[in-house]
Amino acid sequence: MVANLAWRLFKHEARRGELTIILFAIILSVAAVLSLSLFSERLQGALVERSSQFIAADSQLGSRKPINEAWIAEAETEGLATAEQVSTRSMAFGEQQMSLVDLRAVSAQYPLKGEIQVTDKPFGSPVATDKTPQSGEIWLDSRLFQLLDVKLGDTVYIGDSEFEVARVLSEIPDQGFSVFNTDPMVLIALEDLAKTNITGPGSRVTYKAYFAGEDSLIEQYYDWLRPQLDDELHRWQRVGDDESAIGRSIARAERYFLLASLLAIVLAAVAIAVAAQRYSQRHYDPVAIFKTLGATKQMIRNVYVLQILFITVLGIVIGIIAGVIIQQVVVTALAGQVDVSLDVWHWRPVFIAVLTGSICAVLFSLYPLLRLFSVPPLRVLRRDMGAGLSSRGLQFGASGGAIFLLMWVYSRDLEISAILFGSGVLLVVALLGVTYGLIALGRRLGQGAMGSWQLAWARIRRRAMDNSVQLISFSVTIMLLLVVLVMRNDMIAQWRAQLPQDTPNYFMSNITESQKTVLAEHFEANQVTLDEFYPVVRGRFVAVNDERIKTEVTKEEDGQETEGRQGLGREANLSWSLRLQHENRIVQGQWHDDWQADANDVTEDSRPIYPVSVEEGVAGRLRINLDDLLTFNIGSEIVTTRVTSIREVNWQTMQPNFFFVLHPAAMQNFAATYITSFHLDASRKADITALMQPFAAVTLFDVDARINQVREIIDQVSLAVEFILVLVLIAGSLVLFAQVQASMDERQQELAILRTLGAKGRLIRFSVINEFLIIGTVAGLMAAMANEVSLYLLQSRIFDMQASMHWDYWIIAPLVGAMVVGILGALGCYRLLRLNTGQLLRKMV
Amino acid sequence: MIQTKDITKTVTTSEGSLQILQPISFEVKAGESIAIVGASGSGKSTLLSLLAGLDEVSTGEIYLDEEPLHTMDEEQRARLRGEKVGFIFQSFMLVQSLTAIENVMLPAEIAGLADAKKRAQTILEQVGLSHRAHHYPNQLSGGEQQRVAIARAFIGQPKILFADEPTGNLDAANSVRVEDLLFNLNREVGTTLVLVTHDNELAKKCERQLQMQAGELTEITAAPAQKDLAYGS
Repeated sequence: MVANLAWRLFKHEARRGELTIILFAIILSVAAVLSLSLFSERLQGALVERSSQFIAADSQLGSRKPINEAWIAEAETEGLATAEQVSTRSMAFGEQQMSLVDLRAVSAQYPLKGEIQVTDKPFGSPVATDKTPQSGEIWLDSRLFQLLDVKLGDTVYIGDSEFEVARVLSEIPDQGFSVFNTDPMVLIALEDLAKTNITGPGSRVTYKAYFAGEDSLIEQYYDWLRPQLDDELHRWQRVGDDESAIGRSIARAERYFLLASLLAIVLAAVAIAVAAQRYSQRHYDPVAIFKTLGATKQMIRNVYVLQILFITVLGIVIGIIAGVIIQQVVVTALAGQVDVSLDVWHWRPVFIAVLTGSICAVLFSLYPLLRLFSVPPLRVLRRDMGAGLSSRGLQFGASGGAIFLLMWVYSRDLEISAILFGSGVLLVVALLGVTYGLIALGRRLGQGAMGSWQLAWARIRRRAMDNSVQLISFSVTIMLLLVVLVMRNDMIAQWRAQLPQDTPNYFMSNITESQKTVLAEHFEANQVTLDEFYPVVRGRFVAVNDERIKTEVTKEEDGQETEGRQGLGREANLSWSLRLQHENRIVQGQWHDDWQADANDVTEDSRPIYPVSVEEGVAGRLRINLDDLLTFNIGSEIVTTRVTSIREVNWQTMQPNFFFVLHPAAMQNFAATYITSFHLDASRKADITALMQPFAAVTLFDVDARINQVREIIDQVSLAVEFILVLVLIAGSLVLFAQVQASMDERQQELAILRTLGAKGRLIRFSVINEFLIIGTVAGLMAAMANEVSLYLLQSRIFDMQASMHWDYWIIAPLVGAMVVGILGALGCYRLLRLNTGQLLRKMV
Repeated sequence: MIQTKDITKTVTTSEGSLQILQPISFEVKAGESIAIVGASGSGKSTLLSLLAGLDEVSTGEIYLDEEPLHTMDEEQRARLRGEKVGFIFQSFMLVQSLTAIENVMLPAEIAGLADAKKRAQTILEQVGLSHRAHHYPNQLSGGEQQRVAIARAFIGQPKILFADEPTGNLDAANSVRVEDLLFNLNREVGTTLVLVTHDNELAKKCERQLQMQAGELTEITAAPAQKDLAYGS
């Protein structure tokens, strides 16, 4: 019986459009969450796939000792694909010349992800190959053809073995990127390595095993492997552990998708809260009637819980269909531009969407329903009697708790949830204060003859609490849209700034002092502008405050090439300058440009102590503090320095950066070499051989392909971010519309009375529009403020970005808020005013 | 059928407590029809709400068909209303999202009667609205809506019917029709009728009339059997 009644109520109300808003809100929440997360999962899948190319696998095990064969066999038994690489530095000999090379011996399966790039001639255009060197073959880096004076088909000797030069090697997926100290690479077959006899005791060899397969299989395998690994020897790396510019961009984009989806959930929740409140109010009379006619509380609870259930199920079903269609449209539209894995169906988004729809529907309708159940039967006689239960605490508690729960469940990230939620709470509290302030202000402004403004103020004042709830929901919506919009602008701007069009795509090192001018003139004559020359001296970092240190680190050995960070006494690249490098920022102490030698500040053996600036990260890792004494061993000399500043360095710029920058005075006695970079258009690629020809000893690095790859990924991610922004904007606009619609119903009665009393349509229309303009302006302003707070927290804590103020939005937000809310209000009002007074009054019954 | 002993109603306002009803005692026999008349604000609707168990008395006792309403909680009163009481209101109080026939079926459904639909059809026919059975309330005129409300009130053949200004929202012609219908059905079913109105003409159609004035109740025309009872205080 109860089910029948509930079903009938549901059916009729649905047919009569009474459920449209709440149903729409649920559909919106499910569709938005589903399409956003489906899309971002697919996109992330594609991005992870791409970034897996940078480690040539899904996971990689690096080791300083040969990797246990049993481990690889176990991985294969588990169903994982495997490959191996052994790398070392060695001398390669041509018939006349020799050169130090970065030797990589790879198994036939290498690489598991990404491709080996080869060219048909040195410095030619790279093409992908799915082959690896055959036994007896060697593939040489372009530079080696010049250095060893060989051509294809010639013989090259390494250790006790000889190889035929079979191909020009351009790039391998996990070669890493380092300006310093990179020897040209050669590739041979793994089985040939033993014959060379170069990997004997004392040689520095890195062993790598590669794994690819399902995430769960890899996790399972790693769980098995982990207990057997030795932290000193082994390093497990997986996709996403990438600290490079690409890795960070992707990580940031993923966080953005997460943020956007979270905001979509909140938007949907706000919509449902608004709709549920309205739904509840419309059912006060039926509940009073049911109770009068003898229905028990249990019966009423069942009827309405069933109704909510019907609405939720229907909303979820339609929402899922809509979500799938939306994301399919997006994916199809973007298919050409963005790499998305089309063939994969992800269940998690569906699960999340259903969960979101259910939690939203249940938790947000909880308070309105509890209020509804508390309506006394006496309302049938005393029409002014509302719900017995009234607790803003319960209302805010339930909805706030629900939002936080959803955010947390969805993001599995307490910090990002806490930041968004915290700024939301701050906004709500501030808004409540402002509403009451405005109402007090309006009391003064609203006095005088009854024009449309006075009427608007009077209405805002009279409906203080309702308006504050409305104001809060408008502000939260606008704030969320602002966060998504500004975040996207800042993020894309920073990405683009990171790699401007003229980003250097070639680096040169080993330039001597005497070559500097000639080189610059030669390039100038060929219309190529050289970047700054950075002096480099190699030195051993030996002590902090006279205490000898165990490990020394240089940039190129960290990050992408961490596997090289093994020994004691490895050399660091020291540079010196009086000028702070671009994208470097002093975080502690002072830059040393005005340093003066001080006769009292000397070492025990009376050597001067020079200032040094240390990069923040390395300072942290090596526990170096301001004023510490650092000792370097350069050649046979000892240089003692005092830390006078700690620098924050933006490693994401494609620029040489240094851990240690000394005062030039410290280095005056050492012969330095220089490094520099330049940008050469792709169309002039062929000129490179001629450009470099007079400078045989200068080492050239071509990072063009790498930069293009980064740029391509960033462009794709940017495009995806734009799309997500559009989706969230649409969702947000719909929510705003739902809010205006809901509040319009509440105004219906008043409009009817004003109409009946003979008020002109113009007066009514303008009073409603003015009311919405006021609400929109205030909401926009409040949103701009809250936006600033959340952006500051998000950018500085979650997105690893430089936070900044966005003053323009302090003007844009109130203007747009007033405009959008005003227009929506006008539209809603127009609909009501089209009805005649009789219809209006009847609608009130 | 209805018996009250010294019932009072006091409400708390911002300016202290206010006694709306002075102690009231009276009795209504089964099948009797009584009218409670009085000006607006005299307390007649409050009295009705107490008699019907829609509100609680502050002090005193009420027995409805010998059941002690004053000791019951909201749930028990709801059950009692469902079993024994019918209502008609000035503003009809139909559920807007249900059709005429569904509104009529409502009490029978709440009471768990299996033949709710059949009963509803029969009674809608009796009130002359079978052709409007599937219309929604806002598609009906005021008179029609009140007839639907009457049909709803009688579907469960209640022992007691409370009517609050049943013709208050209707024009003269519709009022007459509704009144006739109300009294005819009342007689047919043998229901005890308690009617609240400020319309003296309507009140005269009842067997007894009681006057509410400033929270006090006095009998205007007493039925012979009630003469020995004291009214009010």
